[in-house]
Amino acid sequence: MSAAVITPGRRTLAYVVIGVASLVLVVVCLFPFAWMALSSIKKVNELYTVPPHWLPNEPTLLNYATVLFKSNIPRYFLNSIIISGGSTALALVLAIFASYGFARFEFRGKPWLQSFVLIGQLLPTAAIIVPLFITLRWLGLVNTYWGLILVYMIITLPLSVWMLTSYFRAIPVELEEAAIIDGASRLGVLFRVTLPLSLPGLVAVLVYAFVTTWNEFIFALCFATDSTVKTLPIGLAEFSTEFNTDWGGVMAASMVMTVPVALLFLLFQRMFVGGLTAGATKG
Amino acid sequence: MKGRVGLYFILPAMLVLVLLIAYPVVYTGYLSVTDPKGALTGKNFVNALRPAVTKQAIFNTIYWVLGSIVFQVVLGTLTAILLNQQFPGRSIIRSITLIPWVVPGIVAATTWAWMFHTEFGIINYMLTSADVIPSPIGWLTDRNLVMPVLIAVNVWKLFPFVAIMVLAGLQAIPADLYEAAKVDGARFWDEVWFVTLPQVRPVLVAVTLLLVIWGLNSITLIYAMTGGGPANRTMITPIQIFHLAFDSFQFNQAAALSVMFFAVAIVIVAVYVRIVPQTPGAAK
Repeated sequence: MSAAVITPGRRTLAYVVIGVASLVLVVVCLFPFAWMALSSIKKVNELYTVPPHWLPNEPTLLNYATVLFKSNIPRYFLNSIIISGGSTALALVLAIFASYGFARFEFRGKPWLQSFVLIGQLLPTAAIIVPLFITLRWLGLVNTYWGLILVYMIITLPLSVWMLTSYFRAIPVELEEAAIIDGASRLGVLFRVTLPLSLPGLVAVLVYAFVTTWNEFIFALCFATDSTVKTLPIGLAEFSTEFNTDWGGVMAASMVMTVPVALLFLLFQRMFVGGLTAGATKG
Repeated sequence: MKGRVGLYFILPAMLVLVLLIAYPVVYTGYLSVTDPKGALTGKNFVNALRPAVTKQAIFNTIYWVLGSIVFQVVLGTLTAILLNQQFPGRSIIRSITLIPWVVPGIVAATTWAWMFHTEFGIINYMLTSADVIPSPIGWLTDRNLVMPVLIAVNVWKLFPFVAIMVLAGLQAIPADLYEAAKVDGARFWDEVWFVTLPQVRPVLVAVTLLLVIWGLNSITLIYAMTGGGPANRTMITPIQIFHLAFDSFQFNQAAALSVMFFAVAIVIVAVYVRIVPQTPGAAK
C-alpha cells in the first residue's frame, strides 16, 4: 500500500474545509459582541422594531450617556477597580511567597498542603456561601471593600499558587545558589533573581486574577448589597432585571464592562495562555 | 532544601485559605445539624429534601452538567484540531476563539438574553425569515426549550477553554508519531483517531473533570437569564441553596443542602486529584 500522497485536489479541499470552519468559528465567537455593540448605539425605536434593523439608521450615544450620567454604573466601575485591583495585589503577594516555598523547599506535609490548595480551587462556591456570609458578618466585613477583596482570595489564590509554583520550578536552582554564595539572603534571591526571571508568570497571574475577580458574580451578589460597594456585574444585573428592561442601556453597560477585560486580555494573551497551559506543553 | 523555612513562606497564604475555605466548610457541617438556636437536630436534611423543587433541582443539575460537557468537549476538541493546522491567520483566529471565555459571564448572559428575546430578538428574526420556524419562539419561557438554550450559551462560553487546553496538548505531541503514521498510510481521520486522541486523552480527562466542577458551580448564566424559571425548569441546586439562604433566610436548611452538594463535589474532586498528577500542567 502506498503512502497517502497529498494531491493538489486534496490540498484545495483541506483549505476549503479549514476556511469554512474558521469562518463559522469566528462568526459564532464574535456575533454576540457585534450585536451588543450595534444594539448599544441604537435608539429605542430601532431597538424595538420588527423586523430588527441590522445597522442603526441613526447611530446614537444616548445609551452611553444614560449609563455614564444617569445610572450607578460609574460608581460600580470604580468599586470594581478597587476590589479587583486590591484582591489581585493581595493574591499576588501571598502567592509569590507560597509558591516560592512550594517550589524550593522540602518540608513535612508539603504534598498534603499542595492538595489542599488544589481542592480550594475546586470547591463549589455555593456550598460555602452561607458560612462565609456569617463569617464576614461576624468580622464586620459585609458591604465593605475588604470583605470582597478577602473573599476573592478563594478564587484567585489557589490557581495563582499553582501557576507560580510551576514557573519558579522551571528556573534553574543554580542561579539562586550562585547568588547565595555571593552573600544574598533568601528574600534577596527571591526578589532579585527569581521574580525578574518569572515576569511572564507574574503577568499571567495578574491578568488571571484581575479578570476573574472583575467578572465574579455570586460572591458580589451575596456580600455586597449596598450601592457603595456593588461591583459592575451586579450593576448590570440590576439594569436588566427591572420590570422594564432598557436593553440599549444594558448593551451600553455591557460594552463598558467588557472593553477593559478584553483589552487587558488581548494585550497579554501570549503570556496568559502560556502560563495557563505551561505544564501541558512542557510535560 | 529542608527545614522549617519553607513553611514560613507558605504560612500567610495557608492562613488565608484556612480562614476562607477550611473554616466555612466545617461551619457548614455544624449549621446543617443544628437549628437556629444551636441545638442538635436532623430536621434540616429532611426539610431540605422534602419539597418537590429539591428533586427537580437535582435532576436539572445533572441535565445541565452532562448536557454542557458533552458539547463543550466535542466542540472544543474539534476547534483545537482546526487551530492546530497550519494556515494563514491562525493566530488571529485563535485569539478570537478565546473571547467568549474571557468576557464576564453576566455580559454573556444579558447579551444572549437580548438575542433570544421573543419579540425583538435577532435569533427569532433570523430563524423566521429563513423559514426554519413558522413563528417566533419564547426561548427562555418555553418549559422544554429553556434548558437546552441555557446549555447552548454555556457551551458557547466554555468551549474555548477546552480548545486552548487541548491545543496545548496537541502541540506537545512529537512530530515523529505523525510521520510514522503517514508512512503506514494513515489518512487525516486515521491520524486523529489513532494518534491524536490517545495522546491528548489525559488532557481531556482533566479538562472534563474541571468542567464537571465548573458546571456544578455555575450560577451566573442561569441566575441572570432565567433566575431558575420558568416553573423551576432551570432551577439547579446551587441556585436553590442561594435562594434558601438569602431569600428565605433558612440558613440551616441551606447548609444541609450544601453538605449534600459538597459530598458529591468532593467525590468528583477526589477523582480529579488522583488523576491529575499523571497529567502535568492540566491541573487547573
